[in-house]
Amino acid sequence: MNIISKKFKIRLLSILGCFIIVSCEDFVEVDSPNYKMDSQTVFDKEETAKAAVKGIYNELFNSDFSNGYTNSISVLAGMSSDIFETTSVTDTRYGPFQQNEISPGQTPDATANFNLWSSAYRIIFMCNSALEGIENSQSISEATSEILEGQVRFVRAFTYLYLTNLYGDVPLILTTDYRRNATISRNSSARVFEQVITDLDMAISFLETVGDYENLERTNVNLYAALALRARVYLYQQQWEKAEKLSSLVINQTSTYEILENPDQVFLKNSREAIWQITPIPIGTFQFTYTWDGYFFRGNVNSPVKLSSNFISTMDSQDKRLLNWIGFNESREFYYPQKYKDSRSRGNITEYSMVLRLAEQYLIRAEAKAMQGKLVSAIEDIDVLRYRAGLGLISDSNPQIGKEPLLEAIRNERKRELFSEWGHRWFDLKRTEKAAEILAPIKPLWEDTDVLYPIPDEDRSKNPNLTQNIGY
Amino acid sequence: MQNKHTIRDRCILLTLLFIFSIGTYSLFGNIKSVNFYELAGYQHRVKGTVTDSNGIPIPRVNVEIKGTSYGTFTDKEGYFYVDAAPTDVLILSYIGFKPLEVLVGNSEELSLILEEDVTNLEAVTVNAGYYTVKERERTGSIAKVTAEEIELQPVVSPLETLQGRMAGIEIIQGNAIPGNAPTVRIRGQNSLRTDGNYPLYIIDGVPIISTPIEGGSNMYIGGIDPLSSMNLSNIESIEVLKDADATSIYGSRGANGVVLITTKKANYNKKTEIETRWYSGLGKVSRKIDLLNTEQYIALRKAGLENDGREPNEITDYDLLLWDQNRYTDWQEVLFGGTSYINDFNISISGGNSTTSFRLGGSYHKEGIVFPGDNNYHKATVNLNLNHISKNEKLGINLSVNYGLDKSDVPATIINSFVSMALSLPPNAPELYNQDGSLHWEKWNLSGRNNPLAPILNRTSTDRGNNLVANIGVSYAIIPGIKVKLNGGYTNLSRRYKGLFSKNEYRPELRESREHSSIENHRERSSWVVEPQFLYDFTFGKGTIDGLVGLTFQENTSRNLRVDGNGFVSEALIGDLSAAAATNVINNKEIDYRYNAIFARLAYNYNEKYIVNLTGRRDGSSRFGTNKRFANFWAVGGAWIFSEEPFIENNLPFLSFGKFRGSYGTTGNDQIGDYGYLDAYEATDGPNGLYPTQLTNPDYSWEVNKKLEAAIELGFIQDRITMGVSWYRNRSSNQLVGFPLPSITGFLTVQANMPATVQNTGWEFVLSSLNLSSKNFRWKTFVNLTIPKSKLLDFPDIEESSYANTYRIGYPLNIRLLYQYDGLDSETGLHTVADINKDNTIDDINDHSVIKDMGRKYYGGITNNISFGNLDVNFLVEFVKQEATSLYFDPPGYASNQVIGVFQKWKNNSPDIQKVSGNYDAFSAHNLAMNSDYSISDASFIRLKTLSVKYNIANHLKKGLLSDCSIFIQAQNLFTFSNYANSLNIESPGNAVIPSLRTITLGCQVTF
Repeated sequence: MNIISKKFKIRLLSILGCFIIVSCEDFVEVDSPNYKMDSQTVFDKEETAKAAVKGIYNELFNSDFSNGYTNSISVLAGMSSDIFETTSVTDTRYGPFQQNEISPGQTPDATANFNLWSSAYRIIFMCNSALEGIENSQSISEATSEILEGQVRFVRAFTYLYLTNLYGDVPLILTTDYRRNATISRNSSARVFEQVITDLDMAISFLETVGDYENLERTNVNLYAALALRARVYLYQQQWEKAEKLSSLVINQTSTYEILENPDQVFLKNSREAIWQITPIPIGTFQFTYTWDGYFFRGNVNSPVKLSSNFISTMDSQDKRLLNWIGFNESREFYYPQKYKDSRSRGNITEYSMVLRLAEQYLIRAEAKAMQGKLVSAIEDIDVLRYRAGLGLISDSNPQIGKEPLLEAIRNERKRELFSEWGHRWFDLKRTEKAAEILAPIKPLWEDTDVLYPIPDEDRSKNPNLTQNIGY
Repeated sequence: MQNKHTIRDRCILLTLLFIFSIGTYSLFGNIKSVNFYELAGYQHRVKGTVTDSNGIPIPRVNVEIKGTSYGTFTDKEGYFYVDAAPTDVLILSYIGFKPLEVLVGNSEELSLILEEDVTNLEAVTVNAGYYTVKERERTGSIAKVTAEEIELQPVVSPLETLQGRMAGIEIIQGNAIPGNAPTVRIRGQNSLRTDGNYPLYIIDGVPIISTPIEGGSNMYIGGIDPLSSMNLSNIESIEVLKDADATSIYGSRGANGVVLITTKKANYNKKTEIETRWYSGLGKVSRKIDLLNTEQYIALRKAGLENDGREPNEITDYDLLLWDQNRYTDWQEVLFGGTSYINDFNISISGGNSTTSFRLGGSYHKEGIVFPGDNNYHKATVNLNLNHISKNEKLGINLSVNYGLDKSDVPATIINSFVSMALSLPPNAPELYNQDGSLHWEKWNLSGRNNPLAPILNRTSTDRGNNLVANIGVSYAIIPGIKVKLNGGYTNLSRRYKGLFSKNEYRPELRESREHSSIENHRERSSWVVEPQFLYDFTFGKGTIDGLVGLTFQENTSRNLRVDGNGFVSEALIGDLSAAAATNVINNKEIDYRYNAIFARLAYNYNEKYIVNLTGRRDGSSRFGTNKRFANFWAVGGAWIFSEEPFIENNLPFLSFGKFRGSYGTTGNDQIGDYGYLDAYEATDGPNGLYPTQLTNPDYSWEVNKKLEAAIELGFIQDRITMGVSWYRNRSSNQLVGFPLPSITGFLTVQANMPATVQNTGWEFVLSSLNLSSKNFRWKTFVNLTIPKSKLLDFPDIEESSYANTYRIGYPLNIRLLYQYDGLDSETGLHTVADINKDNTIDDINDHSVIKDMGRKYYGGITNNISFGNLDVNFLVEFVKQEATSLYFDPPGYASNQVIGVFQKWKNNSPDIQKVSGNYDAFSAHNLAMNSDYSISDASFIRLKTLSVKYNIANHLKKGLLSDCSIFIQAQNLFTFSNYANSLNIESPGNAVIPSLRTITLGCQVTF
């Protein structure tokens, strides 16, 4: 009987033994699924690393701050300046932007402000993730990795430039570590500018050989896009000489860029005036192929935003920009931007959303030259745009114009040329410190602290280290 | 380091189990081995007949050789055959009779009489998944429903048949279209995530993914039930495991309870038998809402215009100016009042000799859909069950294969549009068809509305499913009491949806700018599971030990591919993707899930009086990051059958049975998306782009549910009356929810375990009573009642989370946050709600001050089974106590129909409704009131859920012609009583969804 008991024990042992052997930890390892790619693997191959950068460009079309749609910089900053007005007096989203009374809390305007803010930080996250991936990658060639890094740094600089211009001091987030970033404090706007410059300078050096557009698509950042943005930063920092130098580098690249004679062709895809554009993404069954800018400003009865009468009144009735770039809604009698003509196409992309274009470089150079006292040469630059607009040239009408009147003329030309694009007017008013002077008379609730938007409460409640701007 | 831990943990667990097993064997092995020699003695075939005290043969009596698991059943004539040794003891058991033990002896023929008994606890065994226990001796909380209660119900989803039949189990059919997955909650909602509350489904030992499959047609609000293609007639029993004692052996998948579905098997030594059943019937929606007729509607509209001081205009008042003022249509009848014709045919052939038995079956079920058009649901199934046992009864093999096909034509539409349109369309809305039979547009256009039939007639929507569930089990008894077993299972469920959308559903003038389009959606789930097991049981003296150790290896693969086509040149080509101007791949995902576990059970039963049951499981799952893949779950359960104690027997003679039982243990919930821990990129919307879509936390892990239960079970007067009361408390913590982050991190949340705790407590009562029992008349009543209570105990920083407006600490999960209704404004006559923070604006975050529990306060069912000679009648009355919000209607005065009550209140100048008005202020006031406690009312109901009458005519026929022949009538949802006037689907009040059908079917069942 003991024998059986022993036999049994041996059997039992061997069965249990089998169980232990076959049950292994490896069994519950699974590969990444077909629709997900491990971050590390993404940057193991050039092809997928490039796709990660393309992903950032694609997301710029979807991202609130950059898409030209309801919560974009183009719309909101345009409301805050003297370009746009609401079509309805009770508009709770845009009204507060127009009145410069944005709430940091939970109202519709605050939601718009939060979307603007958070979408920009989403892009920052993507850039940081890509930069970390590129840096840790062992297998991408140095040449490719430099080009990719240059493009990503450019987008990060571009995004931070807008963040700091809108909000002043902002948290400077340069990693993807959410545990650390969740409690980060705001950095001074000077520090953010420093980072923008570092990123742009690195982009310029990494993209040095990339003078052409990849696949001839102006949606891919090249050297001149980086130079153009750097020129703008110099302008904002009042480094006139350098601003002039860099904008000249872009303007002189005549094999790639020119001021198009026909205003209707400026915003077409890959137009020769474009330095950087964002392509619409045909999404969904209906394959929408128009820009959000075009859709938002289609000027129908439901449009919440119109061009202010104040702005329209500053335009010459012969100005082609009024005739070609502005529409009029007969039934509700308001003017609306019509730089983009396509608001409903399906299946065929004809326009890209413009981010940087050559006209701005002429305006930068004109201002930089005027500031340095090179008035004649500045007039030449400004006349390039006036000529295209079908207006009389300053060199003909007023060649002896003084520095201050010329600067005033350049500022007005900027307003008329770049309206509805990327909040240029708002940032120009702020950098030239003319916001109070110009806006106070037309906005009864104006306060000098309104030049900065409020930091959204939604983030401040989750990160107590985020302080609020003065005046909110 | 982590690996070392997990290996170490596993080694400890195994060693413990090993010591348990060896220890018990070394202690008692000697005693057992004596039995072993005896058992090896001479075996011979024994024939027996079993009758009741009146000499009537009893079929399907379980005949088992004591101390083994081998046995058989009696056939229709009460005969059985069994191979047994003279020393063997046969145990005969059958529901309603006292069990009988007889020594086989040397006789080859036994004539046995079973004594009728109301007690059934002795005989009934319940399936606990990896093992079975006697009802009498179970330590865990397990509810069971058997074939008789399931098979005649003309519904598609098997679990719907359980409504009202089990304590602690809520089954809600949110939208009664065939195949729509019912919501199944076992003892409440444990996870804060609504998609983390599915129980574990197991068919014949094979786990089935219980998450509903996304419906092709968006009418499938709850998704399609993954069990929809099962044959209800092939289900032997459904057991639901509730407490820790029963569910901990399922470890990380047991938190929300386990539903075990066992399919039918044939018995050994049974002559071949063909069982056929057919039924046909009709169904219509069981409830409609009383709405205004044309006269009442127009009176109300005109009053609105008068109150607004406004002349009617053609733009907004088309119903008064452009439409016929006398026309009347009952839109509920037109849009969902169709009759569903039901046909069901079922056949099975079964038989067996002493070593092999088989059961082969097939079924076809068809039912119509109540929406307009010729739409149907079809289901066809085949199933095979094979059992084999070797001559020496050491080797056992069983195979079961269930295959089902189904096809649903439920139309695709804007969600619920048929239903909400039927409720809101003015009763004088124009005709649907022109004289020539074409769709009428003109008068509809005047209102800016679409002809409501246009979408349904111009869309084709077909969802086909294939479902295979196969299981094979092989067991071998090494020595008596020790058995090894290998279970393997494979499932494959695929659904293909094709939706064709013609642009003719739009008004003729709009068609130019529209396009023909199509949706093709393929979903597939396949899985395999292998479970080697080792089972043991020993008897020694007054004690028995039994238990098991096993391993699980499982892999699930899910695939999804959806391609939309757009711009087909002609209507005839819709759906031919090669003819589409544009195709768009919406979804192309392949998901892999792997799962590995070791589990064990050890039960000790002393003198059938004191029972302890220990269960445990160690789980590993690919859903979690490498550091968090493994975890342990365990439970301890115990029972004390105190009625066996002499002092009870002597002092309380009327108490025939008494048991205390209790359990405590842990279970887990791993219902969280796969790969969430991966730091990964996905494709962007635009072409050729990749981007990170989430923040990754590799360290999240299971939700843990700690379950505590205490219960008492009593039997009186020879168990004529039995009752059970259980109390439970389940605390679910480590909740997997998004941890809120500031958006500067790039995202608003990261997946993490939050120390939030959800508590579900409750009382469950069950009662069964044999009210009358005589030779020709028997009346039994079963009652179940559940009083549940849920509470969110803790949720750190809930205000910051995405649940801030859903849950409140200290309140149940099923709450609505509402405004406080403040009566009518004396000036405007419109509804007002309280401005709690006095900021002169009403916003939900600051002014939601009323918290209402929308859950069930109590619910249950009462079943009566009455047999009178050859006639059986049984019926189930289901009852639910609950409150609910009203179904949404536009404010009175708008061009939209109303419930009749509104008209009466207006006639009586009741202060309960606001001024009849069609202006915007009235609309906003109405909407605020609808989101206040004004819209809450009692939505309790009592429903005659099922009624079946069955007459057995076999006795009237020539003897031996047919072994069974009966005709039956079955009715579902015949009557519903409720004060809640304006809801269609009383199970899901406040939603414009189709209620369960009221069906009456007639059929017959013949066995030969």
